[in-house]
Amino acid sequence: MRQLLRFLAALVVAVSGLPVAAGAVDIKTISTPLGIKAWLVQDKSAPAVSLSFSFAGGTASDPDGQLGVTTLMATLLSDGAGTLTSQAFRQRQEDAAASVGFSASLDRLGGSLRVLSANREEGFELLRLALTQPRFDSDMIDQRRAQTIAAINQASQRPASVAARTLMETEFAGHPYANDPDGTPDDLRKLTQQTLKQRAAALLIRNGLVIAAVGDIEEADLARLLDRTFGTLPTGTPPALPPEWNPPTKARTVVVERPVPQSTALLALPGVARDDPDWYAALIMNHVLGGGGQQSRLFTEVREKRGLAYGASSSLRVYKRAALLVMSTASANERVAEALRVVKAELARLRVDGPTEQEIADAKTYLAGALALSLDSSGAIAGLLHSMQVDGLAPDHLTKRAALIAAVKIDDVRRLARRLLRDEALTTVVVGKPVGIASDPL
Amino acid sequence: MLPSSRAPIVNQLVVYKVGSADEVYGKTGIAHFLEHMMFKGTGTVGPTEFSRTVSKNGGRDNAYTSFDTTGYYQTVAPDRLEMVMRMEAVRMANLRLTEKELIPERQVVLEERRMRIDNSPAALLGEAVQEQLYGRHKPYGMPISGYVDDVKKLNIHDLAAFYAKWYMPNNAILIVAGDTTADQVRKLAEKHYGPIAARKVDPRRRPGEGASDLPQRVTRADARVAEPRWSRYYLAPSYHKGESQYAYALQVLARLLGGGETSRLWKALVVERKVALSAWASYSPSSLGLTSFDLGVHPASGTPMVEVESAVGGLLGKLLDDGVTAEEVERAQNQLLAAAIYSQDSLQSGPRIYGGALGVGGTVADIDAWPQRIGAVTPAAVVAAARHVWRADGLVTSVLTPQEGMR
Repeated sequence: MRQLLRFLAALVVAVSGLPVAAGAVDIKTISTPLGIKAWLVQDKSAPAVSLSFSFAGGTASDPDGQLGVTTLMATLLSDGAGTLTSQAFRQRQEDAAASVGFSASLDRLGGSLRVLSANREEGFELLRLALTQPRFDSDMIDQRRAQTIAAINQASQRPASVAARTLMETEFAGHPYANDPDGTPDDLRKLTQQTLKQRAAALLIRNGLVIAAVGDIEEADLARLLDRTFGTLPTGTPPALPPEWNPPTKARTVVVERPVPQSTALLALPGVARDDPDWYAALIMNHVLGGGGQQSRLFTEVREKRGLAYGASSSLRVYKRAALLVMSTASANERVAEALRVVKAELARLRVDGPTEQEIADAKTYLAGALALSLDSSGAIAGLLHSMQVDGLAPDHLTKRAALIAAVKIDDVRRLARRLLRDEALTTVVVGKPVGIASDPL
Repeated sequence: MLPSSRAPIVNQLVVYKVGSADEVYGKTGIAHFLEHMMFKGTGTVGPTEFSRTVSKNGGRDNAYTSFDTTGYYQTVAPDRLEMVMRMEAVRMANLRLTEKELIPERQVVLEERRMRIDNSPAALLGEAVQEQLYGRHKPYGMPISGYVDDVKKLNIHDLAAFYAKWYMPNNAILIVAGDTTADQVRKLAEKHYGPIAARKVDPRRRPGEGASDLPQRVTRADARVAEPRWSRYYLAPSYHKGESQYAYALQVLARLLGGGETSRLWKALVVERKVALSAWASYSPSSLGLTSFDLGVHPASGTPMVEVESAVGGLLGKLLDDGVTAEEVERAQNQLLAAAIYSQDSLQSGPRIYGGALGVGGTVADIDAWPQRIGAVTPAAVVAAARHVWRADGLVTSVLTPQEGMR
């Protein structure tokens, strides 16, 4: 123990003064003797290894009556494995300055490992145990279930959470994407050790597995550790994708009453799929409308000129079976109707008049530089490498990306704006006590 | 200058040694309002142009206000460092404050407060705790965003006077991290910040004691609360105020008592007795004035608050009576150091750590010595620090509950 302490103390100083020599992102593709594939960026500027990986199948494939099983299972994977109870498993992580964690999204079961490179054997061993011998002890099931139900309860009172949940329920009504990834209290109470184990067995398979590694590790060492960690997982068939989504065909406003002074508003339109030829035009359109920092039309019109809100922004969301363009703002109950009027006027203005040449040029320089801005930690780089693989991109995508952005023409963005920004497809959710806004009848 | 060539980016952070605790009652909210107005233009840069320019050059920028410091930061490509330095230097000395820009921005500031505080029962209770712990209308006892009545009355002259009093190169710290060199940073800094004249800056004052009528209990029953919370806040020394020799042992104490799921509170309350869903402790020593040692519990469904409070009291008493083991102190030390190593892996957190420390009077030597000082903490020092801080006449207890009859 004392030895570890001295080692860590030396590292803190060593890292802070380290003159490093990394450089551009150089992606190596690895294929191990057992056939595990991974992407690696070697980076000796920090004495650590970060792993980001995921399995096909997420909360949208939770079986009927078991809503929440994937999220609860994911949490419990790092709550004890093999002969190690939850407390012992956690202690081993702390002693190695390692962290193993899992979480579920609508479409995938994700995981991560972070460990000091000097302790990587131990870090990968703990990950192997979590993946292959999770315990699902009944006291941990009870604890995590109670915490999840409490979190659902509290989220039901937090305006931003209520708005986000209501938006998904409204936009995806009748589709599995409408379900809360955390599940429902009723279903959570019914989950057993057996259903959790079955869910783990169904998802923790090699087919559909995607792995990205970043850090101070050699290719051969990574290949050996990946085989040991993932190589014994079975092959199988991932859960079927959710059905196709049919976007809403008419505009709808939903108001959820909450006793708060400020109303939170979200507006959604059907968006653009990641493999759509107009994806890069969509990035530019979103940047002009409400992306980036403080330069967008929504920020300028809602906040700068009128002081109607602290934030006004838009973002593109991509799921396996759907895509959304989501606008977000929050304003005092008395003024939120005016804020929404301004947001809608901006959607109409971009649809009718399109962007200016200057806006297109500014968006392109921002988007070309913005990727580098997000590469500021090994975990972030591993996350990027992971999502590129999930999106089906090639390792050389990073070198092509700038040209793809540069190739977008103003007419592409105009055409896309006319296609997407349609009032008749707009879903509006307002949470609070908004003055002058009412729910549309179903 | 914190070098890293991992990615072709640099981060500039300018920290001013002034925060909301330097305001007076009746004029609260100035530090934060001024932070907003710093984006509203100078003699050479038009309103909103600062962020627009950063954005169209592929960068991002923002700012923050705390009790003791105010920071402005940008992340850009290395060849744009001079551009953001030039703009940052201009608004250090030549901010243009106009009525036209102030009027809508006041509404933005108030909306920010509604979002962060008024819409959140936990945040409202937190403000009440600060007021009880540090004293009504005293530094740290007043909200960072200011009292609404004050913010509504602040005018151009108030902001201009605050700006003139605190914004100057000799009251600022420049931190650059990323893919550049110390020589380059020095050259650019001398060119752009160098010509701005230094001026006399007032000393900052923080009281040496907290509120005079402790202990206090603050309760909030709110229809918007679904899950109850119990918390305890002890007045505590910081690196720079009070018995600061305890500051390192208190970090180890917070970690072993309530840092994560292997900590004493979590093991006893969540794992063994099952009376809580979570439990935590925290202590932040980087403060110009006094700070607090905090702990809290999310009670399990059906556990009465009195039971939680007495369970926590028992655990604190046991620690004082029986002490802590060498092994748990070492584990806590390892966790603190590991967290520090990982935080240096991020280009954002490095400057924040240095800015937070230097902005309240710490030195680079202090930061460099931190691992040794944490590593030198003994079990006896942990208990002595606990005994110093856990005083019955130096605390506020807070309770957040659902409104009667709501559940």
